Amino acid sequence: MSHSLSGKFLVREWRSGELGILLLALVLAVSVVVGVSSFVGRLQSALLSESARFLAADLVVVSRSSLQDDWVERAEAQGLTTSLSVGFPSMTVADPDHMALVSVKAVSDGYPLRGTLQWSSEAYGQLQSDGAIPPPGEVWLAPRLFSLLNVTLGDSLLVGEAGLTVSGAVRSEPDATAAVFGFGPRLLMNTKDIPDTGVVQPGSRVEYRLLVSGSPEAVRAYKEWLTPLLGQGQRLDTIEGAQPRIGNTLDRAQGFLLLAGSLAVVLAAAAITLASRRFGERHTQYVAILKSLGAQSAQISRLYGLSLATLGAGGTLMGCVVGWGLQEGFIRALGDLLPVTPGPAGWEPIMIGVVTAAVCMLFFAWPPLRRLGQASPLSVLRADIGIEESQRAGDYVIGAASIVGLMWWYSGSAAVTFAVVSGLSVVVGLGFFVARALLSGGRRAGGFAGSIWRVALAGLQRRGRANALQMVIFAMAIMLMLLLSVVRSSLIGQWQAQLPADAPNHFLLNLAPEETPVLEAFFSERGVPAEALYPMTRGRVFSVNQEALPEWREVESEDTPRQREANFTWSDTLPEGNLLVEGDWWSADDAGAWVSLEEDFADDIGAGVGDTLSLRIGAEVFEAKVRSIRQVDWQSMRPNFYVVFPRSVLESYPGMYMTSFRLLPDQKTVLNQLIDILPTVTVIELDIVIREMRAVIDQVARALELVLAVILLAGGLVLVSGVRSSLDARMKESALMRALGAGRRTVLGTLWIEFLVLGAMAGILATVGAEVAAWALQRQVFDMNWAPTFTLWWLGPLLGAVFVATLGLWSCRRVVSTPPVVLLREV
Amino acid sequence: MIKVSQLLKTVSTADGELEILRGIDFEVPSGASAAIVGASGSGKSTLLGLLAGMDVASSGKIWLDGECLSDLDEDQRARLRAEKVGFVFQSFQLLPALTALENVMLPLELAGMSDAAATAERFLGEVGLENRLNHYPTTLSGGEQQRVAIARAFARQPRILFADEPTGNLDTRTGERVIELLFELNDRIETTLVLVTHDQRLAERCQRCFNMSAGELREA
Repeated sequence: MSHSLSGKFLVREWRSGELGILLLALVLAVSVVVGVSSFVGRLQSALLSESARFLAADLVVVSRSSLQDDWVERAEAQGLTTSLSVGFPSMTVADPDHMALVSVKAVSDGYPLRGTLQWSSEAYGQLQSDGAIPPPGEVWLAPRLFSLLNVTLGDSLLVGEAGLTVSGAVRSEPDATAAVFGFGPRLLMNTKDIPDTGVVQPGSRVEYRLLVSGSPEAVRAYKEWLTPLLGQGQRLDTIEGAQPRIGNTLDRAQGFLLLAGSLAVVLAAAAITLASRRFGERHTQYVAILKSLGAQSAQISRLYGLSLATLGAGGTLMGCVVGWGLQEGFIRALGDLLPVTPGPAGWEPIMIGVVTAAVCMLFFAWPPLRRLGQASPLSVLRADIGIEESQRAGDYVIGAASIVGLMWWYSGSAAVTFAVVSGLSVVVGLGFFVARALLSGGRRAGGFAGSIWRVALAGLQRRGRANALQMVIFAMAIMLMLLLSVVRSSLIGQWQAQLPADAPNHFLLNLAPEETPVLEAFFSERGVPAEALYPMTRGRVFSVNQEALPEWREVESEDTPRQREANFTWSDTLPEGNLLVEGDWWSADDAGAWVSLEEDFADDIGAGVGDTLSLRIGAEVFEAKVRSIRQVDWQSMRPNFYVVFPRSVLESYPGMYMTSFRLLPDQKTVLNQLIDILPTVTVIELDIVIREMRAVIDQVARALELVLAVILLAGGLVLVSGVRSSLDARMKESALMRALGAGRRTVLGTLWIEFLVLGAMAGILATVGAEVAAWALQRQVFDMNWAPTFTLWWLGPLLGAVFVATLGLWSCRRVVSTPPVVLLREV
Repeated sequence: MIKVSQLLKTVSTADGELEILRGIDFEVPSGASAAIVGASGSGKSTLLGLLAGMDVASSGKIWLDGECLSDLDEDQRARLRAEKVGFVFQSFQLLPALTALENVMLPLELAGMSDAAATAERFLGEVGLENRLNHYPTTLSGGEQQRVAIARAFARQPRILFADEPTGNLDTRTGERVIELLFELNDRIETTLVLVTHDQRLAERCQRCFNMSAGELREA
């Protein structure tokens, strides 16, 4: 059989409309997979760049002592770019009445290697990011320092012994969160002035940071060379290790997108299976005629194979083009608000799309068509001869295995695959059993109902096997749509809960106990909302159950328990946002020597509930028994503590207080008034970081909405395919009913009830499956707490019933508008 | 010619083996016509399916134009049909997605003929449907559809033509016109014609007439 005949065949089939839904399913599968994977790829590259921005480099060598000269030489010899920054806390003096504890950062030419340094020539002037750094002899100050030190541009101030001129204001540094040298406001200077200050001496509290950037290969090689040479007090900060605050959000969004892409593959495969199954069924007679006319099995296979290959090639090409457009749409929808410009997507998404198309065509579209070669020519004489149903079971098994493989490859996550497969297994496993039972029960119930119900429920049972399959397909599609909606809602819900509009955006530390009433009065006079005040004392855990712990520099493995230093606090109640994972909380009047630990901290020191800790605050040593282990939400903007004691244990130790509060942009000057009244307190400003985080979250949420819409479209296509798959039999029966005198109302009513019952049952199954999959996903993939979504339990069946009934009636509308004789001749 | 010897067809049912054809023997010489008549369920269609090589006999032999069907596998039987056999069915069996012309072209294209369109057009002209070339089956009347089916069957100028109740779905007048057409083309192309029918007038037009009853065939 010639290619031209396959071509003609394809054209003729296309004209008949049979291939449209098959092509649409394929285009949708490929476009969603290409679109989502290239979007995720670009988002990933953006995330890496974002991490680099937070580090101001690709790699940072951090050291408490000055760095060896040959490290810099080696880096430069390998083609890497370097820059140095040195940080330390220091007092700066403008005049005898104006001095402040500042966090000094001295930088060399080239700083920052990644991201940009923003500065202005006046305290709150026009932002500049021209790659400049303070020249030797000059300093740039955090805007707040201008009023605090009472200086203007051109004034001099002292850093150690060096007199430096104020020449600008530092407004934002890319590595502000990574390089923290004390809590004071920033003073930026040039590394060439450090010797003049005389501040940096052996034993001083200084952090040296050698910034390195270059090609990923060169950075990797340098890292491998340097790692064995690192001594005590030295470490490497890498992009992978740097945790930007939005990292968690983007990670979860990425997980969601990969999940969505995997679901798209499942849905598209289901749509392709249904479309091709119906195509195959409708072509059984076609092939029988061809065979009666002398066509051989190999010719038939070649005819359908070539047609499918042509359709597959065309669909893949179209899918790649649409997918490319889709990811461009995603990127544009995110606009300028993505933290950095996403990199190119590369060819990998196209390859993923092509493989997806090939798998879908080979394992889902081809089997029903391959079986056509086995159609008996005798069915042109006897309509009761079909194709052996038993051969389909093998196809389903191969198809299911290939889709699991594809999902795994695509999501790169066994946990995502497991979660979705477990939900689908519940739907399929329970589905057939429950469907058959409900359908037969339905008929018995229908026996007591009106005539339309009786006919409809009898019809459902008569085609029990086909209906059970159809119901499972509906349930799978609805389940995947519900699952994605649930995960999306809880992700966005959690992000928004994490950063509510009134979240605190400033931290205040080092408040003396006697100053607390002053602060409370200050805030209440100005209407500034603040969190509770927490007492805070620096302390160290040095042994567990009388067994001394080694210091961190003495341990080789990260898993070895070691001493840890932390801020201690006391509280009568479990701090807000904390979750007890083990043990219980003490009562307010409990005088016991208890302690509650954060779970990672407990791991670090190797302690559990019931263990006795030896602790040190200053020179004083005391013991406390672990009463509970807590989970702490570090993403929240509240004061959080690793170690909490009852009031009675900590009250007697000297300590300072901390709190967090919220300032609106136009209230920023309140900070200077605060420092005037309480000059010893330290304020950490997080408002810009929070604004950035919120913008990113909003945009990622928008991307999620877009992807959800695409998946809902894919799910809708499966429902349409599902309804169409049973259309012929239903149309024939309805036409017969009409021929026998049934009115329009009876025929439509019967169809409506059939689809309504099918849809509602599918909705119930889908809800169970979605809950199972959501449980697995939220626990294993998104690291979130799971709770049943009660809305689903009425929404799932309702949506199932409404969608399926509407689609079903719409698809069958011809049955009442076309003469029965015409319909009977057609089907 | 067609020769059938000791043809037996049994099927398995829940109640055991059921004999549908019981030792059928008959011959139809080349160019001759034969009718098989009988009540519904007597085994006529089963016999026709076996004669056309669309089903396999439990035992016995069938020779079509000198080739023994039981020596051929399914694909070889299909090739034999493509080369030598034409078919006309009671329910026309036209492909709904194809126009009248494309339906007639199909067996010619399957045989790789380059002038399929011209040949199909000529045969549709011969059955009087030159004005219906691009009509789809659903827009044609029953008689017109059967004429398309006849054009399709004769377009390859087969050595043997099988017809299964060719007038079964047609009214008397249309049926008569179809019968005329069938025999006229049969005479001109010198095809061996075997038809299964309830229609006595049609059976009488054939040179030989066999009666099928309870799986047994006797010449009437």
